This record gives sequence, C-alpha cells and structure tokens, in this order.
Amino acid sequence: MASLFRSSLRTATATAIAPRLSRSITATTSAAVKCTGMKNLGISRQAGMAKKGFHISASRKILPAGPQVIQGTVNDAAEIPDPNATHGSYHWSFERLISVALIPLTVAPFAAGSINPVTDAILGATIVIHSHIGFESMVIDYIPHRKYPTLRKGAMWALKGATLLVLVGLYEFETNDVGITEAVKRVWRA
Amino acid sequence: MNPTLFSRSLLRATTTPTSLRSTTTGLRALASVATSQAAAPAKPDSKKPNIKQFQIYRWNPDTPEKKPYMQTYELDMNQTGPMVLDALIRVKNEVDPTLTFRRSCREGICGSCAMNIQGSNTLACLCRIDVSNSSPDLVPDLTQFYKQYKSIKPYLQRKTPSPDGREYRQSVEERKKLDGLYECILCACCSTSCPSYWWNSSDYLGPAVLLQSYRWLADSRDEAKGARKSALENEMSLYRCHTIMNCAKTCPKGLNPGLAIANIKKEMAFGS
Amino acid sequence: MLSRALARSAWKGQSPVLSKFTLAKAYPAASITQSRSTASTSNLSNDEAQSILNAQRKLRPISPHLTIYQPQITSLMSGANRITGAILSTSIYTFAIGYLVAPTLGLHLESQTIAEAFGAMPDAAKIGIKGILALPFTYHAWNGIRHLIWDTGKMLDMKGVYTGGYVVLGLTGLSTIYLAFA
Repeated sequence: MASLFRSSLRTATATAIAPRLSRSITATTSAAVKCTGMKNLGISRQAGMAKKGFHISASRKILPAGPQVIQGTVNDAAEIPDPNATHGSYHWSFERLISVALIPLTVAPFAAGSINPVTDAILGATIVIHSHIGFESMVIDYIPHRKYPTLRKGAMWALKGATLLVLVGLYEFETNDVGITEAVKRVWRA
Repeated sequence: MNPTLFSRSLLRATTTPTSLRSTTTGLRALASVATSQAAAPAKPDSKKPNIKQFQIYRWNPDTPEKKPYMQTYELDMNQTGPMVLDALIRVKNEVDPTLTFRRSCREGICGSCAMNIQGSNTLACLCRIDVSNSSPDLVPDLTQFYKQYKSIKPYLQRKTPSPDGREYRQSVEERKKLDGLYECILCACCSTSCPSYWWNSSDYLGPAVLLQSYRWLADSRDEAKGARKSALENEMSLYRCHTIMNCAKTCPKGLNPGLAIANIKKEMAFGS
Repeated sequence: MLSRALARSAWKGQSPVLSKFTLAKAYPAASITQSRSTASTSNLSNDEAQSILNAQRKLRPISPHLTIYQPQITSLMSGANRITGAILSTSIYTFAIGYLVAPTLGLHLESQTIAEAFGAMPDAAKIGIKGILALPFTYHAWNGIRHLIWDTGKMLDMKGVYTGGYVVLGLTGLSTIYLAFA
C-alpha cells in the first residue's frame, strides 16, 4: 500500500525501478505476452472497423487535407494576403444585396399575378448571379489553390463559361418563350 | 510517443484505487509525474466494479508508417474521477504510460486538454464521463493555429499617448464590448469543429483567431483598426466563414465566435 | 484480475523493487506499445532543425473530421443549405444550357411542350415531382432568410440558432406540402 510508504522511501523505490523497467520493456516487446494488452489491440481493431471515420481501412478520406506543410518557421506569423476588397468585403456585401433582392423578385410575380418581362429578366439574371457566386464559393472551398492550382483555374473558367452560356440560354428563353415565372406557373398548373 | 513529453504538471486524480496504487509507483516515476496525492484512506474492494470502455485514437510519431488506430482501455468507474481527463490520467498512470495527451490546469482555464470527445470538441477536464466511448484527438499540431494567431497581431497597437500620461482608460460601456471576447483561452475547440477550417486551415483563419481579431477591433484603445481590417480583406482569411455555427455550439467557455465574425463582416460591409 | 493479484503478491514479498517479471505482467499494455529510446542530443542549426521538423510534419496524419464529428443542427443545416442551393442552381444551369442547344439536338424544351408532357402524367407522379422540386427551393429560401437575419448580427446565440433552425424546418415542411399539392 502506497499510503504505508513514507514519501522519501517512495521516491527511492521509484528511481530504483525506472532503469529496470525500461529494460524489462525492451525485453518483453518481442515476447509473446498473452494479456490484456493483446486483447486491447484486438478490441481496438474491431472498434475501428465499427467506426468508419477512423481510417483503419484504406478508404479515401473526403477532401484529404494532405501532409502539413508549414510556411516559414514556427515563430513566423502566418502570411497575410494582399488586401483586395473586390474579393473581400465588397464581394460579401454584393452577395447579400443579391440574396436580399431575390426575396421580392421571387414573391412579387406570383403575388401580383401579372408578368412584367423586365422583372422576369431581372429575376433570371439575379438567380444566375446568385448561383454563380454559390458555385464559386464551392470551388474556393473544395478546390484549394495551394493544392490543385491547375484544377482550380480550370474549374473557375469552366464555371465562367457555363454561366455565360446560361445567360445566353435564359436570354433566348425570355425572348422566344414565355419567361421564367410564366413557365413555372404553366408547368405547376398542368 | 514519448511519455515524458507533457509530464511537468501536477495532477490530482480525485479518486485513486487503493490496491492498484502501490503498483503504479514505478510507472509514475517513469512518466516523471509528481505523485503528490494525499494518502487516501484505504477503501475496501467490496464495491462491484463498474467497468467502462474508453476508445482512444492513437498514432505514434516514432512509427509514422503505421496507421492511426483506435485503442480500447477499460477502467473501473468506481475508482475514477468524474471527468474524462481523470480517466485519461488514470489510463496513463496505471494502464499505459505511452498514452500522450496535453493537460495542465484541469479546471477549464488553460485549454490544453481540448479534444474531440464523443464526436464533439470540448475540454476533457470539463467533460463528464457520461458517454460510453470517447475518441479524443490527443496531441494535435497547433503550429499553424498559433502562426495565424500571431498574424492578427494580438496586442494593443497605439501611437497616441494617453492625455495624462497614465494608463489608457475605457468607459464602462467600452469595456463591456470586450465581454465574451477576452475570455477565450485559445483551446482551438471551435476552429477544429469548423468545416470551413477543415477544408482550408492554411488560408482561412478560423473562428478562434477571428474572435481574437474582433477582440482587438472592438477595443476602444486600439488604433490599428484599419490595418486589422485590411488584413482580413481577401476571400480566404475571413470570408470562408459561412455561419455554420459549429464554433459557438462547441465552445467549452460558452463564447460565440460566430457572432464575433458576423460583427466583423458587418463592420466591414462597406469596405475596410 | 491477474495483474492485481501479481502485484499484490509482489508486495507481500516485502520487496521494495518490483521484479522484472512482475512489472511486465502487471503492465502488459505498456510493455507492448512502449518503445523508449535513450535520448541523445546534438547541436543543430536553425535551418537543420526546421527541415527535420518539416519532414516529421509531412508524416503526421490528419485526424478524421467530417466523418466522426457529431451531427448537429448547425452543421447539418448549413450543409443542407449548400446542397439544396447546388441542386437548384444545377437544375437551372442544365435547363438554360439545354434550352440553348435543344434546337441543334432536335429536343423540345419549350414551356408549352414541357407543360403538356407534365400534364399527361398521373397525379401521383405530378405531386411527387412537384414535391421533389419544392423541397430544395423552400428550404434554401427559408434558410437563406435565416442567414440574412444572422448577417445583421441577430439570432446568432445558440438559442436563436436552434429556434431559427426548427422554424425553418417547420416552414419548409409546410410550404413543400402546399406547393406539392398546389
């Protein structure tokens, strides 16, 4: 019982054990010791199987973060990018403006019951801009520049091209067909 | 893992087994943990053991080619303190000295023992063991986190001296703005719970660092607000926040990094 | 317990130092997993130390995150917002580009044709398709409003986040049902 020992004796015991222990450990590492330790490892493997998230199997991780490469020494501050409001605060405010504008633009045509081609065109353009910003955000989040510089560039240009095509397509639809609101109404009531 | 890595601090498990204690002395010495426990009165072993399994996610930097794995430990809950940290300390002291984890204050002040417990980030010393399994992430590499913290210049920047040459004074209202910001202990629970930070931790600053950034933006005495804001004026540092709010949900100190970030965005809405 | 019994017997022998055998038995887990190498130190330049650190860091695994993190309203609803947005935008992009290339491919994507084809479907299919289209739209719309309220700094405490979340889910359910049968 530890409580029986005087503290001084305990320290003496401890220091005496330490070197012995390290030797005993190296000695037994290779030895087949059937004990709870082995059982623990067995359990852990089973548990690992049950918990898919912990990569016991060779399954690919979702968006693997990759090896950590730290720029500069440990004591350097992380680099601050050049300020650019177009990609920063102005972009954010514009995004909110578009989102807020979508509320009346979506509700009004259905509430009013009449179709104004100009409102309909504005609605179409706003939806496309909103979608474009949304897709762009996904590309920035999931295709980081530092890891896939080429893919990132390609994705951005592909998105720009798609958005342009969509704008042309919607222009065609607005001019040759009945417009977004009316088309939705038609299909919904069919 | 080197068991002596984080063994400077003193630990006090609230309950210690009587019969096992004697056998632990050697290992305690090995882990060079100060054994300053007051001698508890010997308890009879009559209580039925209440065994609980703890699953811990482990990896050894000495054998980096081996995959991380889950290891299961069993502890008798009758002899373990109420918090997850107590259980971890017991495992290290009595079952497996190679278990490595960070801990210091065991009272939710230092932020060292922040880990993922049962799927959610929190401090092990503040988390009760009422869950069946825990899978903490024990020793994360926080280098980038600290580098990012350094990049926001977390100190008062001021050129004008105070009018009377004494300390910079604040009104009660000005001081109140810092409540809910200064209490942050930088345990990184929020940052590591944030999906945006999972994807882009090298470029996005993350909730903890942005909360700290706002702590200085909200400080009436600070005179570098323009520079602070323009440092966030890009698509990565601040605007990867999509108001997911996992940060506020997980914060062990009950702070709200999400709100702080929303306030930064609001202040910067018309340019920095 | 074997280890306990062994440890006890060791102490009964009044030996202040545990024998090698006993310790190995008493701490089998430790004996298996521990590898203690004697520490040796050597002088390194800062650059050398840095390169060693960087090499070590590249071997460090990244802990699992998304797959093990507790699912909660906050992240689930945020993820759903992005997914529903992607579904809606992809549908619009597909339709608009499809409309543009339809004449060359000989397809008919005029609203008249689509409406007629849709009208010819059985009622159950109509309700189902309307519901499938309405669900992402209503969710994204209501949750978008929630996000806009958050951007003003309101309802951003945990109570607000959760109340708002449940309100959005409720409104989404009701409006989806309404639109599916409209």
